[in-house]
Amino acid sequence: MPNKVCVLGAGSTKYGKLNEGIIEIALKASIDAIDSAGITPKDIQAGYISNVFGVTDRQVHMAPVIMSNLGVPEVPGLTIESACGSGSIMFREAYANVAAGFYDCILGLGVEKITHTGTIQSTTLFSYCSDFFYEGGNGASFPGLFASIARSYMAKYKASEEDLARVAVKNHENGILNPKAHVRKKITIDDVLKSPVVASPLKLYDCCPFSDGASAIILCSEDFAKKSGRPFIEVIGSGRGASPAAVQGRDDITTIPSTVAAANQAYKMAGITAKDIDFAEVHDCFTIAELIDIEDLGFFKKGAGANAVREGATSRDGEIPINPSGGLKSKGHPIGATGIGQVVEVFEQLTGKAEQRTVRDAEVALTHNFGATGASAAVHIFKRVQ
Amino acid sequence: MELSKTRQQEQDSNPREKFIMAARRHKILSNKCSRCGHLMLVTVYYCEKCFNHKFAINELEGTGKVVTYTIQAVAPEGFEDAGSYAWVVFRVDGTDFNASGFLPGVTSASDLPLGSRVRVLDYHPKHGLTLQKV
Repeated sequence: MPNKVCVLGAGSTKYGKLNEGIIEIALKASIDAIDSAGITPKDIQAGYISNVFGVTDRQVHMAPVIMSNLGVPEVPGLTIESACGSGSIMFREAYANVAAGFYDCILGLGVEKITHTGTIQSTTLFSYCSDFFYEGGNGASFPGLFASIARSYMAKYKASEEDLARVAVKNHENGILNPKAHVRKKITIDDVLKSPVVASPLKLYDCCPFSDGASAIILCSEDFAKKSGRPFIEVIGSGRGASPAAVQGRDDITTIPSTVAAANQAYKMAGITAKDIDFAEVHDCFTIAELIDIEDLGFFKKGAGANAVREGATSRDGEIPINPSGGLKSKGHPIGATGIGQVVEVFEQLTGKAEQRTVRDAEVALTHNFGATGASAAVHIFKRVQ
Repeated sequence: MELSKTRQQEQDSNPREKFIMAARRHKILSNKCSRCGHLMLVTVYYCEKCFNHKFAINELEGTGKVVTYTIQAVAPEGFEDAGSYAWVVFRVDGTDFNASGFLPGVTSASDLPLGSRVRVLDYHPKHGLTLQKV
């Protein structure tokens, strides 16, 4: 049996267009997480970092730089890249190392700085996360890949552009309450439908923004957490999955096999089902992604996601609140940080720090984050510790 | 029969280069597993069904039906001069696998209902596997 693993502290910068460099924002989030856990850098035994495009801000091999600036250059670290899923996949590796007993305390830091490259270069850089020979190299951007998924889904399940728009409207309503969200703006279905087309059928407000930002957590053993005397949450389920790298390789384009596999593993490990989850932070890089996620995670049957959103089941006071943070859509998507940002939200929710966006009586929460069009994914389940 | 210099180069090249050279002849190149007969794109190195590593090259007509697509309004670098185009996933005729490519000249969904027929036109140095409507 793996050792119990807990999250003892969490911190995050604001997400958005940030002026500071990648190391400055990474350190800001790290220090917030260290303070939140009530520890010092001397307690950290390893630094796990997730990042994708550090090279554009002239920094790769980031772990030694971060640990040196935290005053503990002797602490080993590493960087993990799995496109937009980098954060959760790094979290999984850090989790496994604490669960196996190699470490008692790890700093898990996700960071990204991309807005300085501009929209066209960012679009191009992101396309390198696809199976480039078949996708980016033939002109598909990431909005384009998800737009092709959306067209398939809409044809198969008779979903409409309004159904997609409702996801954006709901997530923006949540994001308004998040002081660290990138886009804190109320929008209507009409705003979404009238926004410029990026890749049909997806429009600007169907797409998450390019964001800078950093999020960090302190992951530790149960003993370490208990000795701190501070509130903490426990990781009760962890799952990983993979899908064919290219959309063309999938038998059914309206499901993401990596999500299904990761969720099944995490539910099995936790000994629960989707019905036991009180809220979830899911990977809504595009509105269509959230509809597919909430079905693949087992919250709704295939094809029923759009109706669930229409009926308010995924709203903050609904049957299964989805993305109370605002999600990638409103909170933002600094791709190396996103998966860790989801854990920060769960930590704040389950330790009573989520303020106005609190999901009432939540005890068990799920995070879901994937890379590219779901070529890699991770699902984690957390519970409040009394 | 003696192979032309181009075809000889194609035979000696790596799978991606083989795929590109065949596309320039309007074909989709596939591998047929010598053990189980499973057909897959030439760029896959092991049989997806039985993990065998030996194949017979199988040249397919580069035609198929559109499975899904998008019309890119914001194009990545290298496609700024491509005009209005679609990125298309199509089911290759006579197979149970898909390929994807660049289809210029598509401006609205009415231009390309799902199920439309396309064929491989070329492999463009900037735009990759280039398709045309049939």
